Amino acid sequence: MKHSGHEWKSNTLPAFVTVAPVAVCMLFLVIVPLIYVVIMSFCSIDEYYNVVFRFTLKNYAMLADAQYTHIYLQSLLIAFLTTVFCILIAYPFSFLIARTKSRKKNIYYMMVIIPFWTNSLIRIYGWRTFLGTNGWLNNALRFLHLTDAPVNFLFNRGTTVLGMVYCLMPFMILPLYTSIEKLDQNLLEASADLGARRGATFLHVILPLTSGGIFSGSIMVFIPCLGYFFVSDILGGGNSDVIGNLIERQFQSGNNWPFGAALSIILIVITLLLVKCYQKIGGSMDALGV
Amino acid sequence: MKKKLICMVMTMMLTASMLAGCGASSKTASGSAGQLNVFVWTEYVPDSVFKKFESETGIKVNVSTYSSNEDMLAKVKSEAAGTYDIVQPSDYMVKSMIAQNMLEKLDQTKLTNLGNIGSQYLNASYDPGNVYSVPYQGGVAAIAVNTSVVKKEITGYADLFDPSLKNSLVVLDDYRAVIGMTERSMGLSMNETDKTKLAKVSDQLMKLKDNVKLYDSDSPKSALISGDCSAGFAWSAEIALAMEENPDIKIVYPKEGAYLFMDNWCITKGAKNYDAAMQFINFMLDSESAQMVSKEFPYLCPNTKAVAAMGSDYTDNPAKNPPADVIASGEYLEDLDSDTLSIYNDMWNKLKQ
Repeated sequence: MKHSGHEWKSNTLPAFVTVAPVAVCMLFLVIVPLIYVVIMSFCSIDEYYNVVFRFTLKNYAMLADAQYTHIYLQSLLIAFLTTVFCILIAYPFSFLIARTKSRKKNIYYMMVIIPFWTNSLIRIYGWRTFLGTNGWLNNALRFLHLTDAPVNFLFNRGTTVLGMVYCLMPFMILPLYTSIEKLDQNLLEASADLGARRGATFLHVILPLTSGGIFSGSIMVFIPCLGYFFVSDILGGGNSDVIGNLIERQFQSGNNWPFGAALSIILIVITLLLVKCYQKIGGSMDALGV
Repeated sequence: MKKKLICMVMTMMLTASMLAGCGASSKTASGSAGQLNVFVWTEYVPDSVFKKFESETGIKVNVSTYSSNEDMLAKVKSEAAGTYDIVQPSDYMVKSMIAQNMLEKLDQTKLTNLGNIGSQYLNASYDPGNVYSVPYQGGVAAIAVNTSVVKKEITGYADLFDPSLKNSLVVLDDYRAVIGMTERSMGLSMNETDKTKLAKVSDQLMKLKDNVKLYDSDSPKSALISGDCSAGFAWSAEIALAMEENPDIKIVYPKEGAYLFMDNWCITKGAKNYDAAMQFINFMLDSESAQMVSKEFPYLCPNTKAVAAMGSDYTDNPAKNPPADVIASGEYLEDLDSDTLSIYNDMWNKLKQ
């Protein structure tokens, strides 16, 4: 009895001391707010749009409205396109960083990181000035006589995707970079020795070995896309809303917090489903950096 | 090691970009003596006025901004009581906030400059006797037209629905304003509650969808000046400023009768710096402050002493000083019941989907 008590102390106390602060943080910063959101999503609102604790399922029934499902689909489309473009651009670039020896590597690496020390709102507004009717791009096109009338770049779904790709690119580059970096040069040589052409080596050796990076990068890009309301606000001009805009509107001008909470739950569910899919196809949670 | 570093960088970026998304630019909001927390519309109160108040009184002013009455209401409700000392609600919102017991009565003895305000602007129906509010500035949600691009003659709100204006409008990102404008274009009141009429309003509103290029309440003038939008539905002073930048831009007051508004200074319930807030409101009623405001944000100025001092630069400019018949034929918003508001909200969501 006494002996086991001692053992309890020697094993549990250190564990308790190290884990408890983290557990407390998790409890107050993650679990409690999450429970708050869940409870809020079942509440009603009174005549002045104050939240009252009267149980209702109305908020969840409202989620199925056609006007909202349209926005969910649009969000998924925007997120999908963003992810695809991010992969197409980030893959060659990550390859370049990973395969470059010498000091240039750090320079490339910094080229990805440094722009992100500037506030993303400012950078997104920069795009708006650049792409405007009388912006640099249009002026350049007219100067080169490529167009007569200004081209309409701004305020549509395409510009929203552009802004998202721009904002989220590093989240694709960094995991890709780590997975390409780990690639064993010997395997590539072996592949070449066995007569594989470069295309075949890429498809059958490089791509499968770096798929972990592609998957985790995709998750890191796809999920924030659904919530980055400021990008679709500024570059989409309110014409290509994502789920994040819908939530933002409920908490601000719409003044319907319970419905906003229900929308947030939907966002969380989509996120969990995606992460679950990611695990199913063999992605490791470590690679997500969470 | 490198991986850990990458993880750290990524988390940092993720959090940084999330924080960046939080639109409202709230600064510190502590309530110690010698401070004042004001919550005002964007592009509405010049910094120079706050600076002048700070240097005259030694009270530090913390400014946060919002871009619609509903945003302000949601924010004030969500923060602890007394986070903001001063808010700037429009007419109908004053009434709603009084009904919800969210405003503090003003100490009338401190309002020594109230005499500067024209009597036609005092004692409004939303706050009889100015118990809770004093007027700041007002104006019209009018039509802006870039006449070098738009060849069609625009005379009223109804013209904004014309197919020739496809993908060229900037409109306020404010559902009461845009739906109110739609209602006026059909000859209805901006405060319509009849369900069958509202169904028709919803149909009409959907016709606006293809014409709207940008929803922007913060600075609709920017898109007009940059040429991104060739016509718009915006606050009168925004149009006045756009006109100064580009002489091709003209203001049109709608023949159907315009959307009018009057914004007011109010003190929130439980304000931590009540005395400083009263001092600030009285300061804003001063003729010199009103002139400073008008120079930068030329809305309808209810301060008759300031108007007299500004002379023809203000009085002869139709965008700064809307003609009397526009004011007479216009309409103010009213606070609506929550059932009607949810119909309005649905319409708005449908428009923006």
